[in-house]
Amino acid sequence: MKHSKDPFEAAIEEEEEQDESPPESPGGGGDEEGRIEIDQAPEESERDVGGGVRRQNKKSKTSSSVVVVAEGKNKDEDEEEEEENMETELTKYPTTADPAKMAKMQVILSQFTEDQMSRYESFRRSAFQKGNMRKLLQGVTGSQKISMPVIIVNCGIAKMFVGELVETARVVMGERNDSGPIRPCHIRESYRRLKLEGKVPKRSVPRLFR
Amino acid sequence: MSNTPATPASSSKSKATGNSQPPEKRKPLFQKELQHMMYGFGDEPNPLPETVALVEDIVVEYVTDLTHKAQEIGTKRGRLLVDDFLYLIRKDLPKLNRCRELLAMQEELKQARKAFDVDEEKITSLD
Repeated sequence: MKHSKDPFEAAIEEEEEQDESPPESPGGGGDEEGRIEIDQAPEESERDVGGGVRRQNKKSKTSSSVVVVAEGKNKDEDEEEEEENMETELTKYPTTADPAKMAKMQVILSQFTEDQMSRYESFRRSAFQKGNMRKLLQGVTGSQKISMPVIIVNCGIAKMFVGELVETARVVMGERNDSGPIRPCHIRESYRRLKLEGKVPKRSVPRLFR
Repeated sequence: MSNTPATPASSSKSKATGNSQPPEKRKPLFQKELQHMMYGFGDEPNPLPETVALVEDIVVEYVTDLTHKAQEIGTKRGRLLVDDFLYLIRKDLPKLNRCRELLAMQEELKQARKAFDVDEEKITSLD
């Protein structure tokens, strides 16, 4: 299975390979592209990142509109690849892709320095593992069956929460004129501020005996 | 209750009794992913281990509290559903939109896989 190819290159190769290899690959290839957003994929070259999937500046992850656009284009490519390769009658799913935004993202992406690109790649590819999240949820709820959407939603929410924590911690560091890696004291201050803003769910019963 | 005294004693006790209560010292669940994630969000390429441990604790507590609240809502209707979580983060628009995207994408992938399977059946039946 192809992992580290440009989506466009991957699509071309899949068409060639279709005759030889079992039809698993188009679906697999398509899945890979789609799952990058959700699962933890191994750190790969930037070809996959720069290959036409629009990204946004990592600083503004919480602005969901651009993430929506990026997700839309990713879906778009999934559907395109599968349509080309399988000649099914898949209707084109409506995406939230906006050509103007796509173009803007491409421009931004092309001007990234290597450092920025690597950070952006980490930002996109990192995700909580669904298996671990499921274990955690099972432990919390006490029930064996946790449905997939619940796990996915929790992984997404947790990732955004980490984002808020880290970004606020950087703000705190800026205020204190600190530099270097983020230290626990910054995280604690950032957590305190998030609590004041009401972004952290408060326990109705205070947790005792920790 | 023998679990109430100082944390080290209680954590070792809970290990002995098979984790009957949420242990303070649990195996790190998310260390590797968290390192990449923190780098992606603005930390150094190699975050300090104590920072990662603290963030993991905070995230686990966050998910736990959120899930507890969702369960409280969910038990009124019977099961724990995704909508309970969506209700809880309704005020936080970025998170809400992101969750909607993720769910929509999952739907699309499911449809695509289903259509792909149907197509594969057609191919094999033609052979």
